[in-house]
Amino acid sequence: MSPEPIVQIRNLTKLYRHGDLDVTALDNVSLDIAAGEFVALMGPSGSGKSTLLHIIAGIDRPTSGQCLVQGTDVGSLSETQLADWRNNHVGFVFQTFNLIPVLTAFENVELPLLLTSLSAAERRAHVTAALELVGLGDRMRHLPRQLSGGQEQRVAIARALVTDPTLLVADEPTGNLDAHSATEVLSLLQTLNHAAGKTIIMVTHDPKAAAYAGRTLHLEKGELLNGHDDSRLRSA
Amino acid sequence: MTIPGFVLRNAFRNKRRLVLTVLSVALSLFLFTLLQTALRELTQPAQTEESALRIVVRHKVSLGNVLPVKHQARIERIPGVRTCMKLTWFGGIYKDPKDFFPQFAVDADKIADIFAEARFDPQEVADFQKDRAGCIVGIKTMERFGWKVGDRITLQGTIWPCNPELTIRGVYRGGIDETNLFFHHEYMDELCGKLGLCGTFWIRADNTDVIPSLIERIDATFANTDAETKTETERAFVLEFVSMIGNVKLLIGSICSVIVFTMILVTASTMSMAIRERSREIAILKAIGFDGWQIFGLLLAESFGLAMVGGFLGCFGAWFGTWALFQHVNITTISNGMFIKFEVTPHIVVSGLLIAIVLGLVSCIAPAWSSVRMSVVAGLKELD
Repeated sequence: MSPEPIVQIRNLTKLYRHGDLDVTALDNVSLDIAAGEFVALMGPSGSGKSTLLHIIAGIDRPTSGQCLVQGTDVGSLSETQLADWRNNHVGFVFQTFNLIPVLTAFENVELPLLLTSLSAAERRAHVTAALELVGLGDRMRHLPRQLSGGQEQRVAIARALVTDPTLLVADEPTGNLDAHSATEVLSLLQTLNHAAGKTIIMVTHDPKAAAYAGRTLHLEKGELLNGHDDSRLRSA
Repeated sequence: MTIPGFVLRNAFRNKRRLVLTVLSVALSLFLFTLLQTALRELTQPAQTEESALRIVVRHKVSLGNVLPVKHQARIERIPGVRTCMKLTWFGGIYKDPKDFFPQFAVDADKIADIFAEARFDPQEVADFQKDRAGCIVGIKTMERFGWKVGDRITLQGTIWPCNPELTIRGVYRGGIDETNLFFHHEYMDELCGKLGLCGTFWIRADNTDVIPSLIERIDATFANTDAETKTETERAFVLEFVSMIGNVKLLIGSICSVIVFTMILVTASTMSMAIRERSREIAILKAIGFDGWQIFGLLLAESFGLAMVGGFLGCFGAWFGTWALFQHVNITTISNGMFIKFEVTPHIVVSGLLIAIVLGLVSCIAPAWSSVRMSVVAGLKELD
């Protein structure tokens, strides 16, 4: 019996208006992602993979259709509700790490917890656990500029994990990393999926990176391609 | 880390810009505070219970026109007048024009009653009254020139054609301007050839209630004479004296407005730059759960903090700076007698701080609002 879908997308369309022209970013996409899945979204530039990821993560809204995450219609939430929902349910990992340069690794990871009702001691415990999970327990007081690219991305993963979100979304997480660091980051994501049961949705251009996912979905010109659901493809 | 700590970290991310902006706000508010203090000192002379009882009679045409001494007897007969004293600006030179201090010819027997708030030694006043060539001097001028009672000084007339040789018979302290020198009007009359003229009459009324009617009566008494009068309270007289310099209030008000407007532009420009270069970080904050209003609050707090630090530095700097400076420097001397004191009041400091608050809020609203409206996706695109 297949696990309950945590993400349910139905007839999702996203149009962007450029002057008088409507550009279709997503065209009637329907998709289910089960809890605990590690899904890679692949496709050429402009295929709509990042747009799909943004809509699932609640930072963009569909033009039509529905995106349910754990039963919540993300598109129907107000901006304030959406911000709160993101804080509770989504962890972001970006291509360019996007750590706040004036904050230490510890403080960057602590940032999403400032919006919660946790005490300082509880926050400290959560942040320490998250940083140790990504192997940076000894780099807590380092500023981003004092870390390597791979370490920065691992801090970003710790920041994404610290609130224990429903979904971990990663947009080209290895795009700015060398091969060794990329392998470390992808292995970490895979471990989080396997060991902690985290649901991960990752956008990537790189088939090697996609191989770490349990399922790969291909998009082209805003459409989900049939016959490219490589659910059996899993890295060794 | 706390939210205020985060705001502080953001504020300190570009230390040079932070310091320059805080200094520009501080310097502007320092100037604002000094200008407001100058305006206050010029336009709102301190009023005591005694000074509220004083009214001044001058020539209707202008202060430059003199009045006949014979008016005095008629004024003294008007009910409500307790004392009427001749007071004429002598404007002489002591040694060198830069050694300026105010000198007045007065009725020696009335000075202690007219300026009752000043502390006179009764014996010294009696000595002064007895010696027609005597004078009584404020403590600040005594100290400035190192004079002591019994010293002889000569004033060289510039307005009046005489050079009075005076003996210092007494010193007064407090209450009124402590730089004045008062000598006998009779002595000046005698030296100048009994001209029978004086600059003003200073009156002490019986009580404040009679002042409005007294002013009307005095002016009515001399209406249609060859020397019509203009009578006003001491406060109004001083204000009119100041207005002779020009429309000081408008001038200082205009300068203050320019200062405040410039400050808003400088701070708004700084905040715009700071926010613009942080667009992607703002998008990240939104992505991890901060909503638009929380971001707005963070930016507002930063701008507000920056303006308030500048405000505190500027306003309290002016407060403490003037206090410290005038412990060692005589404001009356360096201002050529324009200012008797230069006191930054709590009211002026609070006004400066209120401007800093408004500045902190206004300068940030537009750029912060654009951050509130910016979508996360748009912010993220800036980084890619």
